[in-house]
Amino acid sequence: MIRLYDYVLSASCYKIRLMAALLGVKLDQEAVDFHPGRAHKSVAFAQLNPAGTLPVLVDGDLILTESTAMLVYLAQLAGRDWLGPLDPKSAAQVQHWLAFSGRLAASLGMARLHDMLLYEGDIDAWRAQGHAALRELEAALSERRFAGGVWLVGDAPSIADIACFPNVALSQDGGVSLDAYPSVRLWTRAIRALDRFVEMPGIHRLHELRPAPEVA
Amino acid sequence: MTPRWIATGLSQDLPKAVAMAGHWQGQDLAVWRSATGRVQAWNDRCPHRGMRLSHGFVRGETLACIYHGWVYGADGVCKHIPAHPALTPPATIRVAAFACVEQDGVIWVAPADTVGAPVALRGLQPLRSISLTCDVAAVLAVEPALSGGDALRGLVQIGGQACEVCLLVQHNAAGLTLHALCAVGVDRIAASRWVEDLRRRAERKGAA
Amino acid sequence: MIAPEVLNEWYPVAMAAHIRAGQRRVTQLLGQPITVALQGGAIVVTGQGGALHVTEAFGHVWACPGTPAHPLFPIPEALETGRRLVDVGVVRVKCSPLRAVENFLDIAHFPFVHTDVLGAEPHTEVNRYEVQIREDSDEVWATKVTFYQPQAAKSAEGGIVTQYMYRVPAPTAAVLYKTCPVRPDAWDVIGIFVQPLSEDLCDVWPWMALYDDTTPQADLIAFQQMIFLQDRSILENQIPRLLPLDPGMEIPTQADLTSIAYRRWLKKRGLTYGAQMVAA
Repeated sequence: MIRLYDYVLSASCYKIRLMAALLGVKLDQEAVDFHPGRAHKSVAFAQLNPAGTLPVLVDGDLILTESTAMLVYLAQLAGRDWLGPLDPKSAAQVQHWLAFSGRLAASLGMARLHDMLLYEGDIDAWRAQGHAALRELEAALSERRFAGGVWLVGDAPSIADIACFPNVALSQDGGVSLDAYPSVRLWTRAIRALDRFVEMPGIHRLHELRPAPEVA
Repeated sequence: MTPRWIATGLSQDLPKAVAMAGHWQGQDLAVWRSATGRVQAWNDRCPHRGMRLSHGFVRGETLACIYHGWVYGADGVCKHIPAHPALTPPATIRVAAFACVEQDGVIWVAPADTVGAPVALRGLQPLRSISLTCDVAAVLAVEPALSGGDALRGLVQIGGQACEVCLLVQHNAAGLTLHALCAVGVDRIAASRWVEDLRRRAERKGAA
Repeated sequence: MIAPEVLNEWYPVAMAAHIRAGQRRVTQLLGQPITVALQGGAIVVTGQGGALHVTEAFGHVWACPGTPAHPLFPIPEALETGRRLVDVGVVRVKCSPLRAVENFLDIAHFPFVHTDVLGAEPHTEVNRYEVQIREDSDEVWATKVTFYQPQAAKSAEGGIVTQYMYRVPAPTAAVLYKTCPVRPDAWDVIGIFVQPLSEDLCDVWPWMALYDDTTPQADLIAFQQMIFLQDRSILENQIPRLLPLDPGMEIPTQADLTSIAYRRWLKKRGLTYGAQMVAA
């Protein structure tokens, strides 16, 4: 079984848990005491990942330490539709959003770690960079909507959407509201409404997807 | 003078069975659309424990609070308290409603006792809501073709063609939100890029 | 001006293991800067006016900025052999420390906020339970609390009706006792220790004393962090951020008896730091 070294509050780890759930791939999840234990910075963990980051995905002799690479790997294994359309333009756009997700992690993701787990750094800069990234995402998704689209690339959700979703959906944890980004909000709802979607803390259940229980 | 009716969003951004945050002046609102399409604007606060109702969930013609699931009917009155399923909640548990109308693809809000209707915007299609960190003066300074206070209107150049636009102004703590409409038939992607460009120029002007 | 009743209480300010390992924590207590550090083998908390009263208990460093009105409350279960004591770490929340405690005392939100873990529709009913302010210890207690839980703890498989007791032994600390899945004769003990940084900002330190010899430490921590972080987005979106103590501002029901008692107890004892007294 594919093993995921995981931390429940990590947006990047969640990317992989979410992708696996959507693909129906079962993962062997090994919780790492990221906080308060800082086990990901231990000497023992450095054998697995010298960079000391999470997640780490291990399948046989394959060790992946970059979450976007893990998305590609899982989609190649279990659901190639999730790689997005393969024409040159679309394939390049998928790569664009995979790289863009790194900007989200470096801005919104850091703002969240600051506000929630007391990471030190320039919170105003992280939030400002987060808003700048959200503006780009909002503009792109608005243009997709004008063309009748819902997803970042093509007519179906892809690894591009999954790569960008967690840090966007969790942005309020870092004091960045999505109120000013209506297209982004609708896109996060579309992802949350996907069959087999799983939550993480900070992203609550869409209770409206189920009818109200009968009152006894 | 402050207008009574304030645009707080575009219809296209509030599908059926969705709630979102809105506001009228400093008043936070939960704006939501029922399963049959009815839009309402309420005080964004559950009377039980103060949770924002804009985080809530819509089932049928009701809005429920995400915290404890208290269910409010179309009249704002609490219909159901999940912790006490057999109880009929007293009618005194209710959320204050604002006046809310949908017109020309725009969601307008005003205090409950407001009479009259918002200004009509014929011949225009909704484009995008966009937030700016500058003030209206900066927008007018970089786009002299626009004029107005609560609604900035004018003929601007989009994709080499003169195009009528209307930017409905909503002030907020961080600056302002513009709910943009453009003439029917104009390419909305081109118009959206024009709005982005306008924002960049206005914010640069505002910061200078 | 902070009331002496508030200053004379104990507040958590650090995880003891971190300070013992040589870390220095520069933080805030009741709006004032403090430093928690190891000096000559002892943990010292220093504020602007000098050293604060310090005690170490339940994995955490506690400080009193005034003159302690009483010793820190006990958690006798923490001393029982066979229990695993788990420091869960710290999470910062933009809310009143009192709102954080009150939320911890609430069960009715389980189906909506901790969906499929601590609660699930249609099992939303909160049965009547007992609440009292115990005269001897001056603590708020809720007993005979029961609630249906689809997954009551990391070591629980499937749904059970879980029993709880809740206890508020200090203005910004609460302890819950819940059915222990592997030891029906014992209670699992979970604490929430809240450090009031200011009236509307707090650092929250969950802590556990469990009978569980099998679950890896990282899983126990992950479970409790998951639960608390589900609450965080609620706590940061309650209006006002301060806890309203005047009736009329918020509408409680029978399910909120613990919260009602907690608010009354705070008001009676003048522990109003983080509270709003007059409806705005």
